[in-house]
Amino acid sequence: MLLTPEVLTIEILDILFLFFASIAFYFSLKIVLQYDFNATTPLQYTLQKQSYLVATIIKFIFYTKVILFLFFIFTLDDISNILPGAMCGAGVVNATEYGIYLLIIKILNLYIFAYWLTLNAEDMRSEEQLYLKFKFKVYIGAYLLLLVEIALETLMFFSIDTKSVVDCCGAIFSTTDGTYMAHLLNINPVILLGLFYTLFIFLVMSYIFKKRYLFSLLNFLFVIVALISLIAFFGTYIYELPTHHCPFCLLQRDYHYIGYVLYLFLFIGTFYGIVLGLIDFTKEEEQRRYKISLLFTSLYLLIVSYYPLAYYIKNGVWL
Amino acid sequence: MIQLQHVSKVYENNIIALDDITLTFGEGELIVLKGVSGSGKSTILSLIAGLLKPTQGDIIVDKKHISKLPDHFCSQFRRDNIGFIFQKYNLIPLLSVEENILLPLVPLNLDEEKVDAKLKSVMEMFTIAHKKDIKVKNLSGGEQQRTAIARANVNNPKIILADEPTANLDEKLSIEFIEILRSLKSAKRTIIVATHDPLFFDLDFVDRIIEIHNGKLVCS
Repeated sequence: MLLTPEVLTIEILDILFLFFASIAFYFSLKIVLQYDFNATTPLQYTLQKQSYLVATIIKFIFYTKVILFLFFIFTLDDISNILPGAMCGAGVVNATEYGIYLLIIKILNLYIFAYWLTLNAEDMRSEEQLYLKFKFKVYIGAYLLLLVEIALETLMFFSIDTKSVVDCCGAIFSTTDGTYMAHLLNINPVILLGLFYTLFIFLVMSYIFKKRYLFSLLNFLFVIVALISLIAFFGTYIYELPTHHCPFCLLQRDYHYIGYVLYLFLFIGTFYGIVLGLIDFTKEEEQRRYKISLLFTSLYLLIVSYYPLAYYIKNGVWL
Repeated sequence: MIQLQHVSKVYENNIIALDDITLTFGEGELIVLKGVSGSGKSTILSLIAGLLKPTQGDIIVDKKHISKLPDHFCSQFRRDNIGFIFQKYNLIPLLSVEENILLPLVPLNLDEEKVDAKLKSVMEMFTIAHKKDIKVKNLSGGEQQRTAIARANVNNPKIILADEPTANLDEKLSIEFIEILRSLKSAKRTIIVATHDPLFFDLDFVDRIIEIHNGKLVCS
């Protein structure tokens, strides 16, 4: 069991989230089942008032959760200092069987919570509250995922044994064993980079021709390819070490915390892109979101591209 | 046109303010809501202004379902369509006459010229221009009321709601107020006055008098 101040903070917040999210879940069920926009009954007016209050509660939970993702990553990194063998957050994630599932569900939830917040903002923008029932349906699903996340988080922190030696990121992201990770890291860089830059070109083209569903889909693919190429290729240039493939060490001071910038830009860019295919925005809002998405994915691409180019200019060779 | 369809309003502790009221107010009409204190007149005004939501029923103003609007849209609707004259004026005592009248214009972000023109016209219309720099707390009752009326009219609203407008005025000032109402009526505004002041019951320019008793319609 591990109880650092950061873990304690996360756990206390989880209890608060659980409490308020459960209340919101109960009212969401009521709204989904009984809300009827055309009715003028006392029940309808009560639900109307409750929907506003419940949406506000959910909004605060999800905003906090989205921001707390960075704190979670920081905590993983911080804990690595007290786990024997761990050099960064990767060691902590790998220390228990729950870590990797927690990380996956955290990333998934990050997108789902941000999607709900966007849906809510759009709903509040229209007099008829077009997305009211739908957003509470989405919340019911999101609540269940939140429960899984809280359960995994608690299980992970409570099953970390500070006396056991864990693998360091060098062992976890090794290219020499037969794991899925090793296969992933051994993908030919030409193919990987070709895919990465081609996807980006298609993204730009789908923006020019305003194909929002295609733009959304390409953003979804881009986030996957971007993460793989970061671990398999670009990361090695950030570390200036061909065998170092860790996605967590980027978050450390030695690398000027560049990981936070990269992940933030990648998340904002791809989220704004993906959501374009999921919600009908007004023309101006759609334009704004296209631009934000492309701006952040472009910045991400420029930053990651800078490292290999700078290395080559400095040393005259590729890694 | 303003429509109240089977509207009921129940406050906390099961206090029934309105009980299944159905009413229609035509455009440009001046209607007096008559009834004793606590009969539900003010509740009707607050419902039309979107300050309150009904417990049951629907309120429609110019085809817009006010009772169904989310709160922030209610504020917008009120800002654009309603001029509300409150019984106690609801002015900010430490602000000047001009500043009080200016308040509804703040969210509109109008340019200075337009604001000045609106202010000037409304202050002249309600003969309060000469007091424009005086703090409201230093005004007489009649002057405070004229300031409140000017503020209610500065956005040029289609609907004017007045809640017991003469309750704090002497007879002379009440008659002055009635003359203001006459001019607003001739400007084709829809005006609803909630009052139990008998001065309003025999006016030649009032279109209808509606009596409310214990939250129910007595006669129209």
